[in-house]
Amino acid sequence: MTKSPRTISPEAWRRSIGALPWLAAGGVLAYAFVFGGYLTTVMSFALIYVIFVTGLNIFMGFAGQVSFGHNAFAALSGYTSAVLTTSYAWEPLAAFGAGLALALACALVIGYPTLRLRGHYLAMATLAVGLIVYEVAVEWKALTQGYMGISGIPPLGIAGLEVTSERGQLALLAIVVALVLGAAWRIRESRFGRALAAVAGSEDAARALGISAAHYKLTAFLASAAFAALAGSLFVHVVGFVSPEVYGLHMVVLSFTMLYVGGIGTIAGPFVGAILVSLLPELLRRFKDYQDLVYGVALILLLIYAPKGLSAMKGLVRKPVPR
Amino acid sequence: MPDLSYLPQIALSGVGIGCIYGLIGIGFCVIYNASGIVNFAQGAFVMLGGMITHTALHRYGVPLILSAVIAFAAVAVIGIAIECLVVRPLWTRGAAMFVMILATLAAQIVIERATLIAVGDQPRTLPAFTDRPPLMIAGLAVNTQFLWIFVTSLVTVGLLALFFKATIIGKAMRACAINREAAALQGIRVSRMLALSFALSAGLGALAGILITPTQYTAFNVGVPYAISGFIAAIVGGFGRPLGAFFGGIMLGLAQAVAIVVFGAGFKNVAALSVLLLFLFLRPSGILGSSK
Amino acid sequence: MTLLALSNVTKRFGGLVAVDNVTVSVPESGVTAVIGPNGAGKTTLFNVISGFAAPDRGRVVFGGVDITGLPPERIAAQGLARTFQLVQLFGALSAFENIKAGCHLHTRGGLMAALLRLPHTRHREREVEEEARRLLAFVGLSGNADIPAANLPYGRQRLLEIARALATRPKLLLLDEPAAGLNSAETTRLSDTIRKIAGGGAKVLLIEHDMKLVMSTADHIVVLDFGRKIAEGAPDEVRRDPAVVAAYLGVSGAQRA
Repeated sequence: MTKSPRTISPEAWRRSIGALPWLAAGGVLAYAFVFGGYLTTVMSFALIYVIFVTGLNIFMGFAGQVSFGHNAFAALSGYTSAVLTTSYAWEPLAAFGAGLALALACALVIGYPTLRLRGHYLAMATLAVGLIVYEVAVEWKALTQGYMGISGIPPLGIAGLEVTSERGQLALLAIVVALVLGAAWRIRESRFGRALAAVAGSEDAARALGISAAHYKLTAFLASAAFAALAGSLFVHVVGFVSPEVYGLHMVVLSFTMLYVGGIGTIAGPFVGAILVSLLPELLRRFKDYQDLVYGVALILLLIYAPKGLSAMKGLVRKPVPR
Repeated sequence: MPDLSYLPQIALSGVGIGCIYGLIGIGFCVIYNASGIVNFAQGAFVMLGGMITHTALHRYGVPLILSAVIAFAAVAVIGIAIECLVVRPLWTRGAAMFVMILATLAAQIVIERATLIAVGDQPRTLPAFTDRPPLMIAGLAVNTQFLWIFVTSLVTVGLLALFFKATIIGKAMRACAINREAAALQGIRVSRMLALSFALSAGLGALAGILITPTQYTAFNVGVPYAISGFIAAIVGGFGRPLGAFFGGIMLGLAQAVAIVVFGAGFKNVAALSVLLLFLFLRPSGILGSSK
Repeated sequence: MTLLALSNVTKRFGGLVAVDNVTVSVPESGVTAVIGPNGAGKTTLFNVISGFAAPDRGRVVFGGVDITGLPPERIAAQGLARTFQLVQLFGALSAFENIKAGCHLHTRGGLMAALLRLPHTRHREREVEEEARRLLAFVGLSGNADIPAANLPYGRQRLLEIARALATRPKLLLLDEPAAGLNSAETTRLSDTIRKIAGGGAKVLLIEHDMKLVMSTADHIVVLDFGRKIAEGAPDEVRRDPAVVAAYLGVSGAQRA
C-alpha cells in the first residue's frame, strides 16, 4: 500500500503528541533559566518535587502500590542534612549520605511489616508513618527546633565550592533531575521493571512466574524512599531553612496532584506534573487563600475525569490495529 | 516521676474523648461497610458540626438545641453531596480504591479551606450544654459535659445497633456490606444505601463535633486530627464492626490519657499513631476481629 | 519415572474437605488430565501443587524435591508453571511485555543491573526479546505483539497466558481449565498447542471439563469426585469405568448408560 506523501501517519502523530508534555514543561524550565527572577525559585522547587514524585511513581505507578507517607523519608533525610551541616559542619554530600542511610534504614524497618498489608490498610499505615515523623519533628525540639525550624543551612556545594546563584542551583538541579528521570527509564525498561509491573498487574500471576511479590515490593519501596530522601535533602540546601511544615500533609497532597496531572506510571509524568502544578500558585497569586481550595477541587476533577493524566495523551490517538 | 494520682481523673476525660473518637470511628465503619472505601472527609463533618452550630447560635441567634439540629441536618446533606459529587463518579468509573481515598482527602481540604474563607481562622467554642458545676462521684470531678457526651454516645450507639438489627433499611445496609451484588439482585437500591451511609456517617461526625466543642474548640483545621483518631478507633475495634469502633475509641482515649500523664502532653498524637501502627502490623483485624 | 507425586494430600476449608487423601503419580511422559464434576476439588488440588494453598496433610514431591507448602515463587523456580482458571494476565502490558515478564526465572539482574545498564545487561535484554518473539509465534500471536493484553479476545488471552508460562521453561505446565470460555475453533487451536507443548518436552497437567479436548489430548487421566480420586488410567479405561460414569451422569444415568 502506498502512503500518500501529504498525510502524516498516525504513528508520527502519536510521537508528536507524546513529546508535547516534555516540550511544554521543558519550555517553562528554559524560560526560567533564561529570564531568571522569581520563576527560577519556583522552578527549583518544582525540580525537587520531580525527584520526589519520580520516587513515588516507582512505588505507585510501576509497582502499583500505595503510599501516603513518603514525605517521612524526605523529612528524615532533610532534617539529617540540616542538623549535620549546621551544628556539626559536615559537608552537604556527606550529610546527605547519612540522611539517605537513615531514610533507607527506616524504610526497611517500616516496609517489612507494612507491605504485607493491602489496599487501604497499606495506605493508612503509610499515612500514619508520615504523620508520626511529622509529630516527632515538631516535638523533639532539642534536635529539630520544633516549629521554629532550623535556618542557616549552607547551600549545595562540594569541598568549599558552593552554588549560590539562583541559575546555578537551577542548572545543578536540572542535571540531577535528568539523571533521576534517566534512572526511572532504565528501571522501567529492565527485568527489574518488568517484575514490578508484574506485581502491579497480578500478584498471583507474578508469583506463579517465580517473581517474589514481597521482595519486589520492598525493593521498590526502598528505591522510592531513596528518591524521597534525595529530594528532602536538596530542599534544605536550596532553601536554607527547614521546618516540619515543609514535609507535612501539604507535601502529600501536592505530590499526588503532580503525579496524577502528569500521568502515573509514565516517565514524563512527574516532570510535567511538577512543573505545571508549581506554576498554578503563581497564576493564582492574588488569591492566596484560595490556592488549596483550587488544588482540592482540581485534584477531585482530575481523579474523576482524567485519571491517566497529561502524559497519557498520546493514548488518545489510536494506534493502527494490524490486520 | 510522673504524678500518677492524676490518672483516674485523666482516665475519665480519656473515656470522654474516647466516646467522641468512637462516634467518628463508627462513621468510618458505616461508609466502609457500604462501599469498601475509607472516607477521609470524615473529619470535616466533625468540624462542621461544631462550626455550623456556633454560626447559627452566634451569628443568627438561634437557640443552642435548634442550632445543633440544624447543624446535624446540614452536615448530613453535605455528606450526601460528597457522595454524589466525589464518590459516585469515581465509583461508576471503576476507580482504584486509593484514588477514592485521595479524592475524599481532597474533599476534606476543599471543605476546610472553604470554611476558612467563610468564617476566618479564629477558634470558636460552644457553651456547655448545662450550666452546672461538676459532680463529685467517687472522688472524681465529673464534668456535666462529660455526662452529656457519655450518655448521648451510649444512646446513639444503642439506637444504631437497633437500627441495623431491627429496621428494614438497616438490614438492607448490612446486606450491601456483605455482598453488594446479591443485595442488588434482591432489589436493594445500592446507590441509595451508599448515599444513606454517607448521610449517617456525616451525622455521626457532626454529633461528635457538637458534643466535643464545648470542652475544646473548633476551627477550620481540626478536621484531620479527628479523622485520624476516628480511623484509629475503627481499626482498633476491627474495621467493619461499628460496636468495635466504639470500644476502640474508648481504648484510644484511655491510651492517650495515659500517654499524657506518663510522657507529657506533646506525645498525645505520637501515642495515637503508634497505637495505629501497632494494630496495623500485629492485628489488622482489630480487637474484636474483622467482620469480613 | 514420576515427575510429580502427590501422597495423601488433604485440604480442608473449615468443615468442607476439598481434597480428600489424594495420591497421584504424574508420569514423565505426555499429557495428564484431571477431570471431575464441578466442585470435585480440581482447582484446589492445583493450588496445593503450585503453592497457593498449603495442604493440611500429605506431601507433594516434584522432580525429587519436596515442595509441600513452599510459596508459589519457589515452586515456580523448581520448574513448575501454571495458568489460572480466570486468566491472570498483566492487562496493562502488551502481549510482548507479558511474555518478557515470564522470562524472569531464567534471567538475572536486579535494580543495580537496571540502573547501570552495562553491555551484558543489554545483551540479555535482546535475548529475552528474541525468546518472547519465538513464543509469540509458537502460539500464533505474532500479529498482536503490541496490543495491551486486556484488549485481546479471550481465546488469545488464554494462549498468551500459556505462552507466558512457557517462558519460564518449565518442566511441568499446569493448565487450569484452559478451554473454559472458548469456542470450538479456539478449542481445537488450544488442543493443537497443548500437543505441540507436550511434544516439545515439557510435561502438561491439565484440568478440564471439555471431554473432547481431554480425550483428544490426554494420555493419562485422573478422575476426582468430592475431593477423592475415583479412577485413574488411559482414556479408554476411564471412559468405561462405572464409577466415573456415575459421578458425571448420576447413578440412574449410569444405569441407563
